[in-house]
Amino acid sequence: MEMVALATGIMLGLCGVGAGIALIAGIGPGIGEGQAVAAACEAIGRQPEAKSDVTSTMIMGCAIAETTGIYGLIIGILLIFVAPGIFSGVLRSTVEALKPLL
Amino acid sequence: MGKLDPTVRKETGYIAAWVLALSLLMQGVFLLLGKWEFPVLTGNLIGGITAIGNFLLLALTVVKAAGGPKEKVALRVRSSMTARLLGQAAIAAIAVGVLHTNVLSTLLPLLFPRIGIALRPLIDRKRGKGTKQEHTAEAEGSDLIE
Repeated sequence: MEMVALATGIMLGLCGVGAGIALIAGIGPGIGEGQAVAAACEAIGRQPEAKSDVTSTMIMGCAIAETTGIYGLIIGILLIFVAPGIFSGVLRSTVEALKPLL
Repeated sequence: MGKLDPTVRKETGYIAAWVLALSLLMQGVFLLLGKWEFPVLTGNLIGGITAIGNFLLLALTVVKAAGGPKEKVALRVRSSMTARLLGQAAIAAIAVGVLHTNVLSTLLPLLFPRIGIALRPLIDRKRGKGTKQEHTAEAEGSDLIE
């Protein structure tokens, strides 16, 4: 039983670490969006008459870039709320299957 | 809504329409699979509103930042992105962990704006074709008149 408790603890800890690593994906899009908007500012400065088109493209581009961060967020949430239940079930069934052998 | 930039209003309306359409589709799929429950609907509502709100805030930030000094733009957008991502994480965690909504129906709507943007070229191409056809029809008509 101690082994099962230890394994469950390690599994829960690794799920938390994994969720933390997944959320690192949010750093990249932020930097990219910042650079994109700064470049768009230059473009608007050069061609003020194209402001509407540049803004529209910029918003859509930023939304696409942000999806990467949202993927990471979804993986993190799944690792915290869904994965422990699944892994606990697998662990329990594995222990029950191994009981006759032990 | 009256003070919103026209571009922001147009793009947010487009994204909201896609989120609504895909949410209805998702509810239909849950119904067909026989797994529809009330938490599926609440999760979809929370996820959909979060996705639209996130896009609206992104658009507002980008438009505001574009008018400001170039040095502060990158920092402003980066901090906004971090705040919005953390806000989304908090909302999703509260919805799934506290309100016990369906995980899939809460998290999937966050990706619906991306699907809408991915399909946009197809819609634009169709619209472009329509106007081209109108133009050619007009041109042919004018030739006939001449």
